[in-house]
Amino acid sequence: MSNPLEEVGHKWGMVIDQDLCTGCQACVTACAMENNIAFVGEQDAAYGRSLQWIRVERFWEGEFPEVKSTPFQPVLCQQCGQAPCEPVCPVYASVHSENQQINIQVYNRCVGTRYCANNCPYQARVFNWRDYREPGPLDNALNPDVTVRRRGIMEKCTFCVQRIVQGEDTARAEGRQMADGEVVPACAQACPTEAIVFGRLDDPDSLVSRLKRDGRAVQLLEELGTQPSVTYLKGGSSYGRNG
Amino acid sequence: MAATAKPIAPATHEEHAESRQHLMLDPRPRGEMNAMVMESMHTTSWKFWGIAFLLGIVVLVCLFLAWGYMISEGLGVAGVNRPAYWGIFLVNTVFWIGISHAGTFVSALLRVFKAEFRRPFTRAAELMTTFGLIQAGLSIFMHMGRVWLSYWLAPYPNARGLWPNFHSPLAWDFLAINTYLLASTMYLFLPLIPDLAMARDRSTGWRKVVYRVLALGFRGTEGEWAHLRTAMNIFAFAILPVMFSVHTIVAWDFAAASRPGWSSTIFGPYFVVGALHSGVAAVAMVLVVVRGTMKNMKYFIRAEHFDAIGKLMLVISMGWAYFFFNDYLVQWYGGDHWTHTLLAWHESGPLAWIWGLMLVCNVAVPWFLLWNRKIRSRPGWMFVIGLLINVGMWCERYVIIPISLTINRMPFTWQSYRPGIEIVLGIGTLAFFILLYMLASRLVPLVPVWEVQEGQMAHSLRKFGRKTVVSVSELE
Amino acid sequence: MEEHKTLLALFEDLDPTAAAIERLRKLGIPDDQMNVISGIPVTEAMLGRPRQWSNVPRLALGGSLGGFLVGAFLAFGAPLLYPIHVGGQALIPIPPSIVVLFELTMLGMLVSTFIGVFLDSYFPSYRPKEYLPEISDGKIGILFQCPQQKQAQIVLALKKLGAESVAPAEARQL
Repeated sequence: MSNPLEEVGHKWGMVIDQDLCTGCQACVTACAMENNIAFVGEQDAAYGRSLQWIRVERFWEGEFPEVKSTPFQPVLCQQCGQAPCEPVCPVYASVHSENQQINIQVYNRCVGTRYCANNCPYQARVFNWRDYREPGPLDNALNPDVTVRRRGIMEKCTFCVQRIVQGEDTARAEGRQMADGEVVPACAQACPTEAIVFGRLDDPDSLVSRLKRDGRAVQLLEELGTQPSVTYLKGGSSYGRNG
Repeated sequence: MAATAKPIAPATHEEHAESRQHLMLDPRPRGEMNAMVMESMHTTSWKFWGIAFLLGIVVLVCLFLAWGYMISEGLGVAGVNRPAYWGIFLVNTVFWIGISHAGTFVSALLRVFKAEFRRPFTRAAELMTTFGLIQAGLSIFMHMGRVWLSYWLAPYPNARGLWPNFHSPLAWDFLAINTYLLASTMYLFLPLIPDLAMARDRSTGWRKVVYRVLALGFRGTEGEWAHLRTAMNIFAFAILPVMFSVHTIVAWDFAAASRPGWSSTIFGPYFVVGALHSGVAAVAMVLVVVRGTMKNMKYFIRAEHFDAIGKLMLVISMGWAYFFFNDYLVQWYGGDHWTHTLLAWHESGPLAWIWGLMLVCNVAVPWFLLWNRKIRSRPGWMFVIGLLINVGMWCERYVIIPISLTINRMPFTWQSYRPGIEIVLGIGTLAFFILLYMLASRLVPLVPVWEVQEGQMAHSLRKFGRKTVVSVSELE
Repeated sequence: MEEHKTLLALFEDLDPTAAAIERLRKLGIPDDQMNVISGIPVTEAMLGRPRQWSNVPRLALGGSLGGFLVGAFLAFGAPLLYPIHVGGQALIPIPPSIVVLFELTMLGMLVSTFIGVFLDSYFPSYRPKEYLPEISDGKIGILFQCPQQKQAQIVLALKKLGAESVAPAEARQL
């Protein structure tokens, strides 16, 4: 059952340098525009229902006025190698993609049990609590490459899979290997400090592979054994630290 | 007296009065018992219809209208959010499945162990199983984001070429709950056939037609009884592991997830005992209402039955406390940072009163009251204790689901859960349960008369020296 | 060929019924031309009747085998029809398969037990049948075929043993 069009197999990954992150939220905005993510409005957003596929976490430590801030931490789906969200879905809406080695959410299969979201240790999944309408004129700016989701469906970061597939198709059509940095997800593209680096982990010479071997590299909740595809770089000092 | 072994006459007047307190030693002719059960089914007052009408309106508004509104608007009108993705809908699901466990427990386990006190109220308990499972099913459907596609959980060849994912505890749930719903409905129906035949023989009009159809032409020939008895034996033994599996799988929905407080290997039996705790308490409540409101039921349901159920409740409460403490101690000892945070959140968070209420209702109330036989024998007390235990068990599920979901390993997403329309829908399921039960109480012979008569046949008094004691013969 | 008549004798209590069955047998009515109808499960042993054969246990066994096979298809066959990998688990993981096998085996067993009662008892059947409503009031009836010329003798014998009534049984709409 080998389909020649699907023979390419890569392992995609990401490195986020927290020492470079300024917390500007450009990635959050770019992600929303690229992936047709709906605006939920103030009330729902304040109640923990915002549909962000990537969020920038920051905490205050200590008591005012002696407060310090932790480094900014953009959190998105970690595209786990052994994703806890996948086996718990009764209808195979959350599955592992063999070609990209990422975690895929099949919107059309989702019946909305929200088990995957409960089981995601990173809380990276978001749910369409209502049919959210884009405020005009944004409803004219939808990306035609990405499905619009209706109410009752779980969604999450896809590593901009539409761009990955497009890049793979282009390279195959031109009969060449993909170059490092040819595919860039919206968040990495928008990052002004280039704190987000994306590429192939199966290529040991790619930038993302080299950064992953950096001494500052850590992974979120590594102890759970989820084998995340996202690596964080966190050193002693940083530009992004504003405390 | 038809077809009964004649008990020896009690020696003294006191002994006579004492023995007559037991239903099994106070036999009446079968015809009279039949007439009593038929009369209790036929008797309705304006109060009955008034309450049924009000409940019907509540069901219409709180269940169907509110649900329709939620389906068209999305789950945003409920209180679920991130991280409390599961809220009161699943609390209610677990709660109703728990209620449904009582019927099978009372009827099958007590039948297997030949506990004679079960006889007059097996049917009343079995009805709770079926109606409780209906509410559990409704609650689980309410919970789903796209309920109109819920049939996708069923394994059948379809145009998408896709089968359910049997790695998922929810897929096991689908199989287990459906198996249990089918099995418990069949188990309700089999011992009902002779009673339906009895009702058919003494009905007229539309009731006659209904009972004739439902009784399937049962006459009570040797063959019919033999097949029925064999089947009921198979059911009594086989439905018990199914019952345990259902609530164990419900527990696995939580225990299989990688979350602080949930990944516990003891959740299976802990949930089963919890289900019995609320279920048996609910049986006590239903029996109090049935006895108090239906004609002739004071003959069938007596102080001795409440006494026996009260003992069961006490034992189950101890079992629940044992499992709770076992789970708590090991979680506490583990030293995991997130688990400790969660335990602190339970005990001293803003909703700590729910955690406290759970312990008071589930442990303190039964332990302090149910050791007393006088309290156990009083229907009023038993109703209140049963109600409190059910409140406590509901709180337990509330602590396990939305309160525990608030705490996860990503503190940035912590957020409290504020229930919305799910409260209205929960009231709807409660009203629907009561309404179904009320209507069934006037359509289905609530006391299995033939089982009572069989029991009365098997009981006799025997003399040991100067003392007269009850003796039960094994007829089968 | 002798003319046979179906008679229904009603009794109050167990002992006279057992005695009557014994007497009928002595009077030349074989066991397979008798049937006892009762409102409570009176076991065959109490009345000295041959044990009833029931197919229900066999059907239950067959049903559980069928359920097991369906479960095996769902657990081991269905994933092969459309292989999807989830969470780094095997395509066909053993522990979850045990759950599926258990539930479907039990489902098959219980459904076939239930259907077995229908098959063995010929339920539902709404044809007119020989029956008296007093039976669900606790009376025990003996339904038997008797040769016409012996009828008077048998009726007398049963009445002597305490039969409330012995009458030609009429098939009536239940």
